[in-house]
Amino acid sequence: MMTLTLAWRNLWRNRRRTLITLIAMSFSLMLVQGFHNLSFGVYAQMIDNGVRAGSGHISIYRGDYAVSRDDRLTFVPADLPQKIAALPGVDGVVERLYLPALAQSSRESRGILLTGIDPTAEGLVNPLLRRLDLPALLPSADGRDALIGSRLLQELRLEIGQKFVVTAQGADGELASELLFVRGTVESGIRNIDRSLVMVGRQRAALLAGRPDAVHEIAIMLNRPDESGAVLQRVRALLPPGDLQAIPWDAAMPNLANAIKLDYASQKFIFLVIVAIVSIGVVNTLLMAVMERLPEFGLLLALGASPWRLRAMVLCEALLLGLIAMLLGSALGSLLTWYLTDVGIDLRRFLPESMEFGGVIFDPVLRATWDFEYMLRMAILMPLLAALAAFYPANRAARTAPAVAMRNS
Amino acid sequence: MSLIALRNVTKIYTSGSQHIAALSELSLFIKAGDFAVLAGPSGSGKTTILNMVGALDRPTEGAIAVDGVNYDDLSSRQLADFRLHRIGFIFQSYNLIPVLTAAENAEFTLLLQGIAPAERRARIDELFERLDIAELKNRRPGELSGGQQQRVAIARAIAPKPAVILADEPTANLDSHTAAELLNLMRELNEKEGVTFLFSSHDPQVIAHAKRVVRLRDGQLENDVRQPL
Ligand SMILES: Nc1ncnc2c1ncn2[C@@H]1O[C@H](COP(=O)(O)OP(=O)(O)O)[C@@H](O)[C@H]1O
Ligand SMILES: [Mg+2]
Repeated sequence: MMTLTLAWRNLWRNRRRTLITLIAMSFSLMLVQGFHNLSFGVYAQMIDNGVRAGSGHISIYRGDYAVSRDDRLTFVPADLPQKIAALPGVDGVVERLYLPALAQSSRESRGILLTGIDPTAEGLVNPLLRRLDLPALLPSADGRDALIGSRLLQELRLEIGQKFVVTAQGADGELASELLFVRGTVESGIRNIDRSLVMVGRQRAALLAGRPDAVHEIAIMLNRPDESGAVLQRVRALLPPGDLQAIPWDAAMPNLANAIKLDYASQKFIFLVIVAIVSIGVVNTLLMAVMERLPEFGLLLALGASPWRLRAMVLCEALLLGLIAMLLGSALGSLLTWYLTDVGIDLRRFLPESMEFGGVIFDPVLRATWDFEYMLRMAILMPLLAALAAFYPANRAARTAPAVAMRNS
Repeated sequence: MSLIALRNVTKIYTSGSQHIAALSELSLFIKAGDFAVLAGPSGSGKTTILNMVGALDRPTEGAIAVDGVNYDDLSSRQLADFRLHRIGFIFQSYNLIPVLTAAENAEFTLLLQGIAPAERRARIDELFERLDIAELKNRRPGELSGGQQQRVAIARAIAPKPAVILADEPTANLDSHTAAELLNLMRELNEKEGVTFLFSSHDPQVIAHAKRVVRLRDGQLENDVRQPL
């Protein structure tokens, strides 16, 4: 009790020095928490966008299609999509068939990826198609209506309503061609997609491939991405015996997953810098405070206080410093996070075009998401670091010789 | 039997290649209930003796025993414990902890001894009354005069009822009037409560208050007289 009182009062003996250290520590914590939450939010949004435009929070493939993209790895989903859609936590299920093909207009030809979709289901989940009236544009699964990437439209020198021909290799190895009509364009902001995407009804694509009813992918969207582990288990339980695989998004889209991992790694560096600032600040403050008070430590030892009590006193000062920084910094960090969730950082003033990251576009208004677990971990780090940094100053205090300290009177 | 016994004590300080003999084969015995002063010019070894009697430092040669306990037999931990329970200190300066109030300072040794708060308070209240500083209890050392600070130091020293109180030039920072008052107070505690005092001074006025005067010169005993009052 006395140790705590002493530590508290000693801490405020040099008000300015303590305040400066506290502010440095609190600001460090604020920055770590605020910016982590910002990237956490941006990633969450990016993942969600990427996942919804791409292969879903969970995807089902046959064999190693996720890696090999081997056209032959199709399967007939039967009633699997309906069963999955009925699972708790599942927001939407779409089936897709992918077919590398050649598109020819009357003037140009380009390599494309013909994607067979279920217009109604796809329109509900795919953010790329959000602004389009899919059932109107692609009224049937086996129609000749197609959506094409905005860039591809230009490159093929096509206009809406005009026709073009796609040629692909069927299951039997023979080339087959189909006549399609442009009904709309899709603009993702990602060059590769915009210059190669052609979407048609799934049955039309399946006929071209010579594989009626077959798909390459079942993409499953979830209500809550953080439930993906549990839902994955349920989905796996529904899979028929055989070589169908259910995999999470980070396995299905390794590019995006890796880009995010890399960015988290750069955050670790910032984190280390801040750890250094905090430790050096605490060591410096406490060491100065201890050196100024050597005669006092000498007095305490002379009176019969044990060196351990002196260590405890210095440690207690450090812990108080860390605890105040923890509370103050978390308050500031919450304020910053609150601002970043509510207002966000609008990049539109700086970057006119949409941004791409790991093959996924993201919203130019960056917004934070609360990551309480991380915030708590960083907050607890403050008193821990402070206690660690107090080690040397505390030992210095304990090593004071009682007699020597009394002499310089 | 003596309360304090120094037998052939030599203390050599080594600083760099220099060896300074602060005390040479000094023997000194002090009985319980005495009120003795170590007198002598600066550098004569007064502080060295008090530090060693107070178990703050060990002699190079010779033996020291206080209250029947031979310091040679104790570890530094045990010495610290002995200090806490059996020895009261009053220093010339840096006597009080600046961030604690007068009462908290006086309580400090009792706290280290693990005495319960209520009893601590009771003892300190009573002592502060006796030392005439009751109204200063909640002041910080910075708000006290030199004489008041030394009274608080006396309260802290006698609160645990030690075997002896050691005071190294307790009046050096006080004017002569305040110094005389403090000495009278110490003497009163000695007479009425039988508290043993061993203190040091080079001030003749202060030395005049002692029952016994031990004169030192260059780390050796010059003379040792009892003076009537
Ligand atoms: N830590 C030390 N290192 C070296 N010499 C010391 C030390 N402490 C005291 N001395 C020397 O020992 C002698 C006695 O000192 P001290 O006991 O402090 O005398 P007094 O208290 O009577 O002034 C002096 O010559 C002093 O310089
Ligand atoms: Mg001295």
